[in-house]
Amino acid sequence: MDARVAPRANIRRDTASQRPHVPWAESIAAGLSRLAAVPREDEARALLDARLEWLRGALLASPYYVRRLQQVGLHPGDLQSLQDLRHFPTLERTGLALHWGEVSALPSEDEGCVVVRSSGSTGEPVRVVRDRRDCLHMWAVLRFWLERAEVALPPRPRVVLLDALPGGLEYSVRLPILQDGALHRVSVLRGDARERLRRVSPTVVFSDPEGLRWWAEQDGLPVPGLVLSSAQHLSEALRERLARVLPVPVLNYYATTETGPLAWECFRSTGHFHVLAPDVWLEPDQDEVVVTRLRPSVLPLLRYRPADAGTVRRDACACGFQGWTLEGFGGRGACGFTTPTGRSVDAWALAWVFKHHALRAFRLTQLAPTHFELELVDATEPGPLRERLTGALRNLGWSDAPRLDVRAVSGDSLVTGTKPLPFRTRIPREGNHT
Amino acid sequence: MDFDIKHIRKQLADTPLVSPYPHDLSVAIICDTFRLANLRPPSRQDWTVLEQRDRGAGLWKEQVMMLAHLLTATELRATTAATLRPNMDATTLLQRFFTEVEPLTAEMIRSNVFRLEEFLRKWVHAVEGRVKDEAPQQSAARLKQLDYRTALQEMQRADEARKQEVERRKQELQEAALRATEARGWRE
Ligand SMILES: [Zn+2]
Repeated sequence: MDARVAPRANIRRDTASQRPHVPWAESIAAGLSRLAAVPREDEARALLDARLEWLRGALLASPYYVRRLQQVGLHPGDLQSLQDLRHFPTLERTGLALHWGEVSALPSEDEGCVVVRSSGSTGEPVRVVRDRRDCLHMWAVLRFWLERAEVALPPRPRVVLLDALPGGLEYSVRLPILQDGALHRVSVLRGDARERLRRVSPTVVFSDPEGLRWWAEQDGLPVPGLVLSSAQHLSEALRERLARVLPVPVLNYYATTETGPLAWECFRSTGHFHVLAPDVWLEPDQDEVVVTRLRPSVLPLLRYRPADAGTVRRDACACGFQGWTLEGFGGRGACGFTTPTGRSVDAWALAWVFKHHALRAFRLTQLAPTHFELELVDATEPGPLRERLTGALRNLGWSDAPRLDVRAVSGDSLVTGTKPLPFRTRIPREGNHT
Repeated sequence: MDFDIKHIRKQLADTPLVSPYPHDLSVAIICDTFRLANLRPPSRQDWTVLEQRDRGAGLWKEQVMMLAHLLTATELRATTAATLRPNMDATTLLQRFFTEVEPLTAEMIRSNVFRLEEFLRKWVHAVEGRVKDEAPQQSAARLKQLDYRTALQEMQRADEARKQEVERRKQELQEAALRATEARGWRE
């Protein structure tokens, strides 16, 4: 599953071994809080520099980095401060796709490491090695977010993962990592979704723009403490509609499969994503996101480029956050498709359909309310894809299958700049990339 | 007089190496530096010995050239001349220096800030000078951080340790598979 094609809350279902990691999760949240309260940049940087000791060791344990650094006459010991980073080579998604097994350190045998697959820009799947803590990191960061949102966790809190993905997968599992809570996955496609939500009465809801749109149309649902949406485009209209029925903070976060959560959108100022330092470092003053992982993990990431646009600056935000903030974030070129009834839906809700395609290997363009064009770099077997896409469109409001032209194209013709824009519309509307 | 590494780097950035120096010119520049300090420079034969010592990476000549360039383009020559003491032996000093910088290529020194700093600091160390605004312990610690020669060994050790670990795990899996086969054999 690719965070960029189908951003989901990153939640692993086995729960038996979570409990020993609770103190770690608390320390992660405390670390994020502490850094967000350091007003002086030099002081904050010193705290981050201290984290490089882990990274130096991790680079040494990574055959890829050992080789890569030697090629350019560098070694891990050269990395003594964040200032030194600019002299180091970057790693692109294609590079990670090619060398994933060697970028990672040898997983320790009792670490419970897993390999997560995602689609890559070469068409080959990218594999990302994750240790147990990588898998649980989102829960640790959630504690920090709850604190920022001033939401107190009750004992045994319930968390809901609400989605509109076809298939309607649902489950309930225990969640020891979050105060002995429970996690319920709820599909809005099931008839009893409302009933389940009422019964569960969650404190926290993870969803996406489609799930939230559904919520905004319901009456009498319980009011959670915090709602989270992964950083797909969250339109102003949807935010307003949500605010009317859900008078709670909606936290829009930015994460990728390769890096985990990176930043979260300020509750007060839209478009300002506060960086999750000290777990990650996003280099300031660039016009794209460049990530260095500062939290111990089996997978060291040094100057990783997820191909997302944005600029990071040091910031003392009105919300009280002190730290670095990502602005002009354009990882996911926003696009709304217009249904036959004139409603706008987030095109990224279709992303799951393409999860085996790189973001630069396809482009879906809406030409008219019931007419789409799909350009594919590899169009040898479009049949199953066509079926999935039609099904997904039906769920979004095209009750009669729209016309869908599939066209084979060369890879070059889909490259439109630094950020992939796989969804486009020819129907004029505010906020769309056309 | 202490060596101002920052200033030397700045001077060097202002005077980039345009074309390589002929070897004889590089040798002459280095010899001149010793003469400036009233020291006997290495003889032609000493230079031959220095060259023959370099059997490993074959980088000696480019290192000689880079040293000559640094001496010409920056205040390194003046500071070196002021630092060298009358009782020093030029050939021994150069031997020590070239051993220390053994894995550094001209390209690294030219294009990589860390290797340039290392090259300069190792020179300062070889002529027993001091770095401006630094306690000797600080200079020693920085040199240790930068040391590419040690780092290469460390990277090689890490690589071998990893390979061994992979091998050990492979073997463990094989043995476990064998035990499983044997166990089945017993039950039959
Ligand atoms: Zn803020």
